[in-house]
Amino acid sequence: MSGKVSLQILLYGVVCLAILLVPMVIDDAFLLNKYSRYLVFGILAIALALSWGYAGILNLGQATTFGLGSYCMAMYLKLKTVPIHTGSDGLPDFMVWNNVTELPWIWEPFYSTPFALAAGILVPALFAGLLGWFMFGGRVTGVYAAIITLAAMVVVNLIIIDQQSYTGGFNGITDLAQFQLFGFEFDAYSATTYYLVAICLTFALFLSLAVTRSKTGLILQAVRDQEERVRFFGYDVAVYKTFVFAFSAAIAGLAGMLYTIVMEFASPTFLGVPLSLSIVIWVAVGGRQSLLGAMLGALLVTGVQGALSESETFLDTWTLVMGGLFVLIVLFLPNGLAGAFETIVRRFMPAAKTPTEQADEEHAKGTAQLGGAA
Amino acid sequence: MDFVVSQILTGLSLSSILLLVALGLAVIYGVTGVINLAHGEFVMLGAYCAWMLQTQFGWGLLASLVPIFILIAILGWLIEVLVIRHLYDRPLDTILATWGLGVMIQQIVRLTAGGELRYVQMPPSLSRSVNILGATDSAYRLFVLGVALALFALTWFIYSYTSFGLKLRAITQNRSIASCFGINSARAYRLTFAYGAGIAGLAGALISPLKSVSPEMGTTYVVDAFMVVVLGGVQSLLGTLVSSGLLGEISGLLAYYSNDTIAKALVLLAIVIIIRFRPQGLFAQRVRA
Repeated sequence: MSGKVSLQILLYGVVCLAILLVPMVIDDAFLLNKYSRYLVFGILAIALALSWGYAGILNLGQATTFGLGSYCMAMYLKLKTVPIHTGSDGLPDFMVWNNVTELPWIWEPFYSTPFALAAGILVPALFAGLLGWFMFGGRVTGVYAAIITLAAMVVVNLIIIDQQSYTGGFNGITDLAQFQLFGFEFDAYSATTYYLVAICLTFALFLSLAVTRSKTGLILQAVRDQEERVRFFGYDVAVYKTFVFAFSAAIAGLAGMLYTIVMEFASPTFLGVPLSLSIVIWVAVGGRQSLLGAMLGALLVTGVQGALSESETFLDTWTLVMGGLFVLIVLFLPNGLAGAFETIVRRFMPAAKTPTEQADEEHAKGTAQLGGAA
Repeated sequence: MDFVVSQILTGLSLSSILLLVALGLAVIYGVTGVINLAHGEFVMLGAYCAWMLQTQFGWGLLASLVPIFILIAILGWLIEVLVIRHLYDRPLDTILATWGLGVMIQQIVRLTAGGELRYVQMPPSLSRSVNILGATDSAYRLFVLGVALALFALTWFIYSYTSFGLKLRAITQNRSIASCFGINSARAYRLTFAYGAGIAGLAGALISPLKSVSPEMGTTYVVDAFMVVVLGGVQSLLGTLVSSGLLGEISGLLAYYSNDTIAKALVLLAIVIIIRFRPQGLFAQRVRA
């Protein structure tokens, strides 16, 4: 068992190292910016794999927490802009256009760097924690929880667009300063920003791995497979689910902050249904029960999409192809490419199968017949 | 007095749209346990069919209602046969598959009919306004309300008083035992899905003169309709009726005092709080996860 764990850590480490080494080979600032974007999506996929693959909570609104993190960072960077173009007392430009005379109180604390950085993680986590407490405390599970996360996202999105004078409305928050920390300046088109994203990705991946390997992680997987039984054992299922939901939101918030740095703006589309659907697709393609698989799924899908998006007609057809591919994967490859990979490895290397794994497999078959993800 | 009546009428109009969209959803979910995220796209297709029949063939809206119902029902039947049928024992995956299908339908419409907003003409015979207790309301809105209630009554009748409805109720309680008694549950599921899809198409066609028609229109409707179903409770058709009435009136009232967005946010907040304490919905006896 311990051999298998160290093999997994080795595999994760190699992938992260490979990602960190990319700027050694590629020097094109434009490409690096593009790759940083893909990596941010990778972090987002890890967040969803945690709640969906490990705890069985299908979050159709993962983009909500991503967007919240992104807006926190954008508010912070907006206040850093010098000179703030039109405002008399350092007001962001869109507020002046909306006849706001003084900085709203929600914006006030974002002058502070530690506050802004903490908020980017804690605001999404608190939002998800609260929503989770209501949902899981009420024993809302499965499809119901999925629908509520979706509805919450639609509403948050509407509010952001509606409150134009505080959020920039439909246009989002643009024209941001560059992010600076510890004397480093993170230009979106530079290796520095790429390293920042890659390090955060590595951190998020290993932290998540640690969580799934912990006792909490095991209980969460048990909840995913047989929620009632775990409850009968005396565990407070709602607390565990709320925890993982909030934790995944925190990671998504981190991804959102990085995304603002990489894209140099925040927009309501970051909390949109299309992005949320994309996240689900990446994770489904990569394999929901593998953190690494989900992350690579995101890199693969966004990479292909990026390569095809050079022409407009391709992009339109791509959405269609993606939808079809997604349906096929749901039908025939419920564990994504990572699951297919594992099956192939097992088939060609029977020696790799230990007795415990065989038992695992039998068990997995059993739960699948009982109705699996429910 | 005028104000009260007109406010109630506004709410009723919202309610009738909610009921139309939620009814198909509630039928499908209540019987088969499938959350159909492509439901909004069925609504959108219904609206596009109405637009196409009107602009290409010159059909009036009223004449195209029945063909639209049949068309979208056939589509629903096909989707059930090709995709949904394989996923009944994986409820979470039905969400994903129907979501993927929804994206495909949306994209196909965008590629063929274009992404611009489309407008559908109201039937001329119904485009006047009616005076009710001092308040005026468009005759068409009242017509939509009437159709929504009639469809509800029809569904209620099928479910409660026909032998097919009896079989459906048996399947809802326990599919495998119902099958043991010789009920063809696969066929019943297919018909239910087709019926629910057909109603969605009808809803889209009826909504089309009131709102603009676009490929994205389905998303907002489906979310609102889910709120209705969640609030009403999934096993209860009556719950769907009452909760769409309730949500419509409340949204109308809140929208009067603030705006549509705030109304929507407050309604969602209320629903999240309600399900914390009554997860089975307001009117259902037991919860179905």
